[in-house]
Amino acid sequence: MKVNVQNTSMLHYWKYFADGLKYTLIISIVGSIIGIILGVLLALMRISKFKPFSWFSISYTEVVRGTPMMVQVLLVYFGLGVLVNIPALTAGIIAVSLNSGAYVSEIIRGGIASVDKGQSEAAKSLGLSKKDAMVSVILPQAFKNIWPALGNEFITIIKESSIVSIIGVTDIVYELNIVRADTYRGVSPIVVAMVMYFVLSFTLTRVLNYFERKMNHD
Amino acid sequence: MTKTDDKVMIQVKDLKKSFGDNEVLKGIDGTVKSGQVICVIGPSGSGKSTFLRCLNLLENPTSGEVLFDGKDMTKLTHSEIAGLGARMGMVFQNFNLFPNMTVLENLKLSPKKVKHLSDEDATKISLDLLDRVGLKNKADVYPSSLSGGQAQRVAMARALAMNPEVMLFDEPTSALDPEMVGEVLSVMQELANEGMTMVVVTHEMGFAKKVADQVWFMADGYIQEKSDPETMFENPQTERAQDFINKIITD
Ligand SMILES: Nc1ncnc2c1ncn2[C@@H]1O[C@H](COP(=O)(O)OP(=O)(O)O)[C@@H](O)[C@H]1O
Ligand SMILES: [Mg+2]
Repeated sequence: MKVNVQNTSMLHYWKYFADGLKYTLIISIVGSIIGIILGVLLALMRISKFKPFSWFSISYTEVVRGTPMMVQVLLVYFGLGVLVNIPALTAGIIAVSLNSGAYVSEIIRGGIASVDKGQSEAAKSLGLSKKDAMVSVILPQAFKNIWPALGNEFITIIKESSIVSIIGVTDIVYELNIVRADTYRGVSPIVVAMVMYFVLSFTLTRVLNYFERKMNHD
Repeated sequence: MTKTDDKVMIQVKDLKKSFGDNEVLKGIDGTVKSGQVICVIGPSGSGKSTFLRCLNLLENPTSGEVLFDGKDMTKLTHSEIAGLGARMGMVFQNFNLFPNMTVLENLKLSPKKVKHLSDEDATKISLDLLDRVGLKNKADVYPSSLSGGQAQRVAMARALAMNPEVMLFDEPTSALDPEMVGEVLSVMQELANEGMTMVVVTHEMGFAKKVADQVWFMADGYIQEKSDPETMFENPQTERAQDFINKIITD
């Protein structure tokens, strides 16, 4: 008779979780950075006087916000897969970036609108060009106003990026399923994953709050 | 009263401005000469701010002409309008200082970006101006720590840093606590004494009496009366102005 001598303690599987953490972090960090760049571009296109830019930005944002992230991930992976063979991780990063770009652009647009109209009027009355007014006066204030919303978006990315496990990116959720299958333990791996996500978001929240306080000199 | 030469600085011809169906300015004519101080008075909602904002094109006039130094500003290109900022300064009711910069940075921004002055030159000009409005010691603080009166003096210094030929004031003391009105008015009076051309929308009748060369009374989208201060306040020529002046005096 065979006895199960395998060590099924979660500690024994730490390497799996560590590996998952690595990929979750890669996807979240790279996705956030590209998302911000994309978001600024989309926001500027949105307020541009050149209508096709504005239309593109509006349609793009609406489509991304109106469809589930899971479907977007599948579309990027299998859709791009038709043209070129891309690794799951790359597809995951692209999908997360494209998704967060849309949300970030809405946040930035709101931030620009939240800056008092008197600010751009004062800038104009001083002879500043639109670009200088945007860079020196409007965007710094907009960024300060949207910092909390932007922080929320980063946290959302950490949590929602778990969806990329369906295309085989070995993030925390993917590893959690492997450990479950390996140990026949239904609940413990889930709890471990949950704690990991919570620690990630909680730490990030603290860090963001710290920067928010630092920015509040005025 | 200040000395004026006869050079026409701003000439407004049949200026009209509508917002949608709301015709706010129905045909304004007026001339501002170099060195003159014009005070614009009138009931709230009569279009005083709109008139002022049409002068430096913060609003686009619906029709009519605004000649600045002989050029019709309503026909300028975008870059020419931007260049205007160097020649016409504006002071707003709510100061509109940039809260993300220190006081000194507020002053330096335009001279550096628009006139391409070196940081050193811009700093020197700015500190001199802060000194002039009595706020050199506030150079490195952020605007949020200033009182209203201080903020408005900084705003004036910021506009002056571009060395403008005309200064526009839109109720510069209306947002201030009463005890701070004086410090702002005295800087304005000094400016007038130095020969600055000024168009001032104000409710401060004492200031208008003392400093204005001419008082323009606006109501219902027109300038109803242009008089010297004494006539306007002691013996207004139009019924509309009489009503208005009586009302303020009894208030
Ligand atoms: N940007 C704007 N859009 C629509 N209506 C405006 C705008 N600015 C001013 N108005 C209207 O124009 C009228 C005159 O306003 P304003 O020039 O501010 O008067 P005043 O400065 O004499 O109080 C008001 O009825 C106001 O509602
Ligand atoms: Mg007004």
